[in-house]
Amino acid sequence: MALMPKRVKYRKEFRRVRDRKATKGNYVAYGDYGLQALEGQWVPGRVLEAGRVAAQHFLKREGRLFIRVFPDKPISKKPLETRMGTGKADVDYWAARVKAGTMLYEIAGVPEATARRALVRAAMKMPVRCRFVGRRVSV
Amino acid sequence: MHEKSPLLTAEKRERIGTRYAKRDRAIGRLPAVVYGHGRDPLAITLDAKSTLTQIHKGEKVFRLDFPGHKEADEMQMVLLKEVQFDYLGTNIVHADFARVDLNERVRTHVHITFLGEAKGLKTAGNMLMHPVTELEIECRVVDLPDHVEVNIADLDLGDMISASQVKLPMPDMKLITDPNAVVAQVVLAGVSKAAEEETVAAEGATEPEVLTAKKPAEGEEAAKGAAPAAKGGAAPAKGAAPAAKGAAPAAGAKPAAGGDKKK
Repeated sequence: MALMPKRVKYRKEFRRVRDRKATKGNYVAYGDYGLQALEGQWVPGRVLEAGRVAAQHFLKREGRLFIRVFPDKPISKKPLETRMGTGKADVDYWAARVKAGTMLYEIAGVPEATARRALVRAAMKMPVRCRFVGRRVSV
Repeated sequence: MHEKSPLLTAEKRERIGTRYAKRDRAIGRLPAVVYGHGRDPLAITLDAKSTLTQIHKGEKVFRLDFPGHKEADEMQMVLLKEVQFDYLGTNIVHADFARVDLNERVRTHVHITFLGEAKGLKTAGNMLMHPVTELEIECRVVDLPDHVEVNIADLDLGDMISASQVKLPMPDMKLITDPNAVVAQVVLAGVSKAAEEETVAAEGATEPEVLTAKKPAEGEEAAKGAAPAAKGGAAPAKGAAPAAKGAAPAAGAKPAAGGDKKK
């Protein structure tokens, strides 16, 4: 079952600007390694779930996987062969707003090589270019 | 400490702002600022390559030299207070330095280095969690440690080391981080109970509750009860009528939306 919010204030929302750079949630905060998006995109909940399953299946109950984004944006879609107008369509799926730099997943408790291989599998499911990162230098 | 501290050659920035900082970066300079000791902050640039090399090495205390600038200080001891990253977190784009005296007590963060392999990690399925990777301490600049060592060899499943249990290298060092913060803990790998419950709750629901949704009036409810099939569009995803859903999920949505869609 794909992720979605339990309750929302409004059923539908505007599209808003997508192509921005992440100013928060763009560093490894919980785990030791992470998967960072290099492009902006709406990532559906089912895709995030597919990535999670791919990574966790590889980890085989080792380590801990964190999902850093949540699909809280309702995306509406008009049915096929429907004339334009008559108001906004029904919600089709829920998506996470992913900006360039957003951390998608994080892994803790496994060696770097294992984390890399697990996150590469998750990256294959993502609709954005991703890269494997570690914790950044802090002062 | 001060003799070992790396020397950075600084130039005063005449023009400040995003554009000029960007131009400085393009020619291999790193924009920075020096402040503290009750004097005005000074915008400077440093040689990016040498500065970043030192920062990545873990250096925190530097000597700043201002050649050719009489108004600026001759040589300053500075402490690296903060670095700013670009949006990908790859490149350092700016650094903050605070003027310090060698005997001054300062607050800074030091990395935690784990020694040994935890006893509990020898059992399959256990993992080491270390939510805190650095400690904030107060100490003299000359005593500033590169890292703090924590021995985790005796940690078994369920054991933890809190920040207050970490032995600081010098007796006059003061821990600023929350003493109850977990530095290292051996836990069972896998999904936590709370996360499991959340997943189960999410699986039960097909559509989120809308807080601002209009509640139907009594008359409408009666009408709805008379013809439940017609109102199936309110939950088109996995509704109660699979046949209607299979035929055209949008068809159910039409009356709900009150529209008159035409082909």
